[in-house]
Amino acid sequence: MKKELEHSFIELLEKHQNIVHKVCRLYTNNYDAHNDLFQEITIQLWKAYPKFRGDSKFSTWMYRVGLNTAITLYRKSKRRISTQDFEGVEFKIKAENYDDTEEQQLKILYEAVHQLNDIEKALVFLYLEDKDYREISETLGISEVNARVKMNRIKTKLKTILNP
Amino acid sequence: MMDELDLLKKDWNKDDNKYPKLTYNEIYKMILNKSSSIVKWIFIISLLEFAFWTVISFLLKDTESMKRFEQYDADAVFIPLMIFGYIILAYFFYLFFKNYKTISVTDNAKVLMENILKTRKTVKQYVAFNLIYLVISTVAVLYLEFEKDQQIINQVQQATANGEVFKFYATIIITTVLLLAVAIGILLLFYWLVYGILLKRLNSNYRELKKLDS
Repeated sequence: MKKELEHSFIELLEKHQNIVHKVCRLYTNNYDAHNDLFQEITIQLWKAYPKFRGDSKFSTWMYRVGLNTAITLYRKSKRRISTQDFEGVEFKIKAENYDDTEEQQLKILYEAVHQLNDIEKALVFLYLEDKDYREISETLGISEVNARVKMNRIKTKLKTILNP
Repeated sequence: MMDELDLLKKDWNKDDNKYPKLTYNEIYKMILNKSSSIVKWIFIISLLEFAFWTVISFLLKDTESMKRFEQYDADAVFIPLMIFGYIILAYFFYLFFKNYKTISVTDNAKVLMENILKTRKTVKQYVAFNLIYLVISTVAVLYLEFEKDQQIINQVQQATANGEVFKFYATIIITTVLLLAVAIGILLLFYWLVYGILLKRLNSNYRELKKLDS
């Protein structure tokens, strides 16, 4: 029974692992920290999996557990010092039609998003993942109106960073 | 003009291959590892706190002065106090486990944070209870000593004869207060450090969420 559960869980996570990587990408900025957070989210997902009913989509359920781990349960990695920096190595931003200004803008945007606080990052993350305000408000436990207001503030904040 | 975030969104969802791909076996190894979440740490530290105060109360029971008390015929005071102490311990233990069980990573972020803080609060109240208990017991013990201990009674009489009774009492009271203050201070500093470090992130995120909804 446990083996079956393990098997179905690992297969699902293997398929949807990008969601976890994306959470890690937003909340960490080096290779070790990324792995550390990925590991913790995986453990939390696995611990919660027996109660996963399947009435919500696995991916939707993952957003919640992933974000909760990142903003609440996770203690920052002990292995802070790393020579490998993500933005430069793994996630090099490439514009399809090479556009210097767009690429430059994206780079600054990613840096700006990294400077946001944990809650703002969560909002941005769900927005980037195309979640509507209802789901954003349900995931964070705030009202839909306030989620909207906050999102607009974040947009203004990013605009200011980009066009000082 | 295109929204900044939409520009980011376009790029964010463009290329899923830029992320590492973990294999089945790599994920399998991960689920065998132990969590190092703050909930786990709060759980361990809380159990240690319960153990610490229980051990303290057992150790105090075997001290010389406690054995002397048995001769004072003060059972009418001490037995109810002891039973009261155990009932309180059981009550806090029950509350703590009840709160701990309600912590679920699938709740929304705000509820999850509130449940963790509630668990922490229960233990905090237990510690506060113990500190108050410590102060009350010290006062009770001092009172009994002055009433029953022949050696102290003699000393009081001698001090009275020398006209130094006020100084005698003042010295004892000040010493006791200072000792208690130092002991409580060290404990509080310890809690403040441990929980301060552990809950720094949670507290600031919780404040941020509450600010959003105010």
